[in-house]
Amino acid sequence: MIQMNNIVKRFGAQTVLTDVTFKVKEKEIFGMLGPSGAGKTTIINILTNQLEADGGNYSIGASPFETGLMLDEDGLYIRLNCLENLNVFADIYGIPREKSVAAIKSVGLFDAAKKTVNTLSKGMRQRLALARAILHEPKILFLDEPTGGLDPATARGIHKLILDLCANGATVFLTTHNMEEAVKLCDKVALLHKGKIVEQGSPAEICERHNAIKTVPDLESVFIKLTGVELE
Amino acid sequence: MRSIKAIFTKQAKDMFRNPMVLVQFIIFPAVALIMTELIAKSNEDIATNMFVTMMAAIFAGMALVTATAGVIAEDKERKSLRFLVMAGVKPHEYLIGTGGFILLAGLIASIAFGLIGVFTGIEFARFLTVMIMAAAASIILGAAIGIVSKNQQAATALAMPIAVILGFAPMIASFNETVAKAAGILYTQQLNVIVNDFSANFTKAITVIGINIAVLIILFVLAYQKKGLRG
Ligand SMILES: Nc1ncnc2c1ncn2[C@@H]1O[C@H](COP(=O)(O)OP(=O)(O)O)[C@@H](O)[C@H]1O
Ligand SMILES: [Mg+2]
Repeated sequence: MIQMNNIVKRFGAQTVLTDVTFKVKEKEIFGMLGPSGAGKTTIINILTNQLEADGGNYSIGASPFETGLMLDEDGLYIRLNCLENLNVFADIYGIPREKSVAAIKSVGLFDAAKKTVNTLSKGMRQRLALARAILHEPKILFLDEPTGGLDPATARGIHKLILDLCANGATVFLTTHNMEEAVKLCDKVALLHKGKIVEQGSPAEICERHNAIKTVPDLESVFIKLTGVELE
Repeated sequence: MRSIKAIFTKQAKDMFRNPMVLVQFIIFPAVALIMTELIAKSNEDIATNMFVTMMAAIFAGMALVTATAGVIAEDKERKSLRFLVMAGVKPHEYLIGTGGFILLAGLIASIAFGLIGVFTGIEFARFLTVMIMAAAASIILGAAIGIVSKNQQAATALAMPIAVILGFAPMIASFNETVAKAAGILYTQQLNVIVNDFSANFTKAITVIGINIAVLIILFVLAYQKKGLRG
């Protein structure tokens, strides 16, 4: 569904991605795990055609219309309310506005539908951004740190939504620096350090390979072992 | 067309809730009204429409540049524009949607100016024509500035001096022949010429403003190609 081959990206003299190669299968949740500055957002920006790579290639098994995304900034219209924000996009996609209501319900924001974005908490904004991403029922979702900066309860809500979406047939590519999240959600993960993938596979597989199974697979310790640095 | 309508509607809702932008559409006609009623009408030495023409020219030539630049720079700064681009919105659709509503608001303000001024039929028609053309020029210029700016602050820093030059060139021109000649190529000067004297060469004025619009469209396209809508 998504494939990246030997992608290289430079910003001036700094090489931000080196030889990044991975594959995401249909209906899989794939997590790109790495600390801040590893290059996660850059990978999403390349996959969503916002940035051009300096080498390598990639392919995506869905048209732009069939992809939904959550970026590191939510891009919401702050003076419009939740429903109005979604309706702008429903109108652009040419889908009925009822879909906006459905999306707002599915992220649990129905009671706040008429609230101006300005007045929402960070968690609510994040959920609204997710609602916008899933509004047109895309085949592929790109989620850049979907739970970044959220309290655990709100994060769990978002986790449940992502799992539901996947159960309904969506393929999810997400980035995170939270290894618990990666273990809980992802079928496959790649560990990214300074723009290089140092390990990839299912969380259990990876931990087994590195003897890091305690009670749960301990990706954090694998990461530290491979790179010498902590995730957060 | 769908996208243009969606963005136009969004812009309409947004502007009424954005005091920073809204105020610019109210303050200039309001000042024109107050000054005309309080000063011009009771003062023999001042032309009755002096404040109307002055405020209308500043509005169309300056306020619309800074307002448009601010609106577009905000969409860039908050990354709203990226989501539009990702949803398949084309640059011209975004511009027509956003700029189109600002132009409509500019038309309404122009009609207000026209009503405050004591214009007769043909004068009113000429006034509205040059106002709306100058407004279009300013909106395209503002859009180009918004596109090259990283954020709203940068947009203001760039738009202000440009708008001041465009807005004040006609005033300086009224004192200085050489400046008047040079300023003649600017749409703001032509706007000023017509609103101050409806018997002035109208064809020349709208031709010059038309050329300004064409040049500004090219400038906008260049700015877009260089910077893109994605910020
Ligand atoms: N537009 C840019 N220009 C220059 N450097 C950039 C740009 N975007 C990202 N970088 C650099 O690339 C590296 C990776 O950034 P990013 O992909 O945002 O990391 P992450 O999302 O994993 O935190 C960082 O060192 C960052 O400073
Ligand atoms: Mg990032």
